[in-house]
Amino acid sequence: MFTFFRNLYVHRYLLYNLTAREIKSRYKQSILGYFWVILNPLFQMLVLAFVFSFFIKIPVAFNIPYSVFLYSGLLSWNLFVYSITSATNSLIENEALIKKVYFPREIIIVSSVVAKIYDFLLASTVFLGFLFYYHVNISSLVILYPVILIVQIFFSLGLSFILSAFNLFYRDVQYLMNSIFLVWFYLTPILYPIELVPEKYKFVYQLNPMSVLINAQRRTIFGGGDLNYTSLFIAIILSLVVFQIGYMIFKKLEGLFADVV
Amino acid sequence: MKIIFENVTKHFFKQEDRTLKELIPSLLKGLKPGEFINALKDINLNIQKGDTVGVLGRNGAGKSTFLKVIAGVTKPTKGKVIVEGKIAPLIELGAGFHPQLTGRENIYLNGSIFGLSKKEIDEVFDDIVAFADLKKFIDTPVKHYSSGMYMRLGFSVAVHVPFDILLTDEILAVGDTEFQEKCIKKMISFKKEGKIIIFVSHALETVAAFCNKGLLIDKGNQIFYGDVKEAINRYKNL
Repeated sequence: MFTFFRNLYVHRYLLYNLTAREIKSRYKQSILGYFWVILNPLFQMLVLAFVFSFFIKIPVAFNIPYSVFLYSGLLSWNLFVYSITSATNSLIENEALIKKVYFPREIIIVSSVVAKIYDFLLASTVFLGFLFYYHVNISSLVILYPVILIVQIFFSLGLSFILSAFNLFYRDVQYLMNSIFLVWFYLTPILYPIELVPEKYKFVYQLNPMSVLINAQRRTIFGGGDLNYTSLFIAIILSLVVFQIGYMIFKKLEGLFADVV
Repeated sequence: MKIIFENVTKHFFKQEDRTLKELIPSLLKGLKPGEFINALKDINLNIQKGDTVGVLGRNGAGKSTFLKVIAGVTKPTKGKVIVEGKIAPLIELGAGFHPQLTGRENIYLNGSIFGLSKKEIDEVFDDIVAFADLKKFIDTPVKHYSSGMYMRLGFSVAVHVPFDILLTDEILAVGDTEFQEKCIKKMISFKKEGKIIIFVSHALETVAAFCNKGLLIDKGNQIFYGDVKEAINRYKNL
């Protein structure tokens, strides 16, 4: 982990440039440009909110509108999925670089994740607007929110390291991921509150870091009791372990990237 | 600054069956899912300051792999590689360019890929633009560049990065005559400064005129390393 931060520091200007390239180039030649980053999740939320508050009514806690409840989970879930998907493809997209120049390859992974964090922050402005519009009371625990988000980012980075490296050898990884994310989405309390889950299945949710983290993020924003520190602790440890193992695998395979890409 | 190879061998694992549909039948038949290819076999070299080495060999002999091992892009399977000095990889011009970004943005992007800070790029920025002769188009996205302009910018960025070792792969085959002459002049000035230049080319005359040493590789084997004239003779008799 020390090596990771040192490499980021040494190559910070490269990291900055790769991230800027990722952000700048994406919505060139489109009229609305970066506005799409905000519009896409908003539409996604509106459609889901429409289905699940009109046709199938899902009761939510915290005394807030369903749309606000949904948006809070959806935004960080999107950050999670988009980070990993784009990081997994990033090594292939940067084939030309990988074959020609040496620099620590984790810079590529981190830059695509940072670009997604940037998107997340932009998309969150609309969420803030919702909070304001509905006069939602913000809990004082909200200061813990960034910490939990950072844990989530480390978890994403760890998975990205593993998946991006394996994807270079077998491209099945990127297709398999789509299906896994689909299942994972429904196994994470995004559309519904965790309270709806029967007691005997709750252990599945405790072992799913995304479930614990998204739930904890909601608690820090909307209040509604103390955080479940035991689950949170497990999730943090799990995330850091995934990060560490992922990074080790990534560095071990790095010397072969140029041969297989 | 130096480059030393001690018994360097590089295997590639060639995956012949990349998909499951191809993989399963070959597993059932008991075939291996691919084979090892010797891209480089027992290479021993000692390149010192001021050496310009022409790398000769037929297509697929392992010349590009040789450059990649020096650049640190790929790890050798066996043996030891010692590279002292900062490398400018001119293996392919404009490798890091992004078509949607402008020439200016790409200069900063490419500079940072070569390990420069913003300040260091600021210092050489005007020289890069002047050498590439692209002042008028510097704020145009590079996708609108002609391939010649693209190459010029790529070459210009690479040679303005401070380096000790220059790796080139058939780069002088690009651009118009005028730019080619400019490139050769630049390379000669590097040679005078005592930099190490590794020069992969099929243009034997240029190699003979420019290099003092020659490395001949065939099917991954080191056939000869030493005087450039001798290397060229042996290449012709291959």
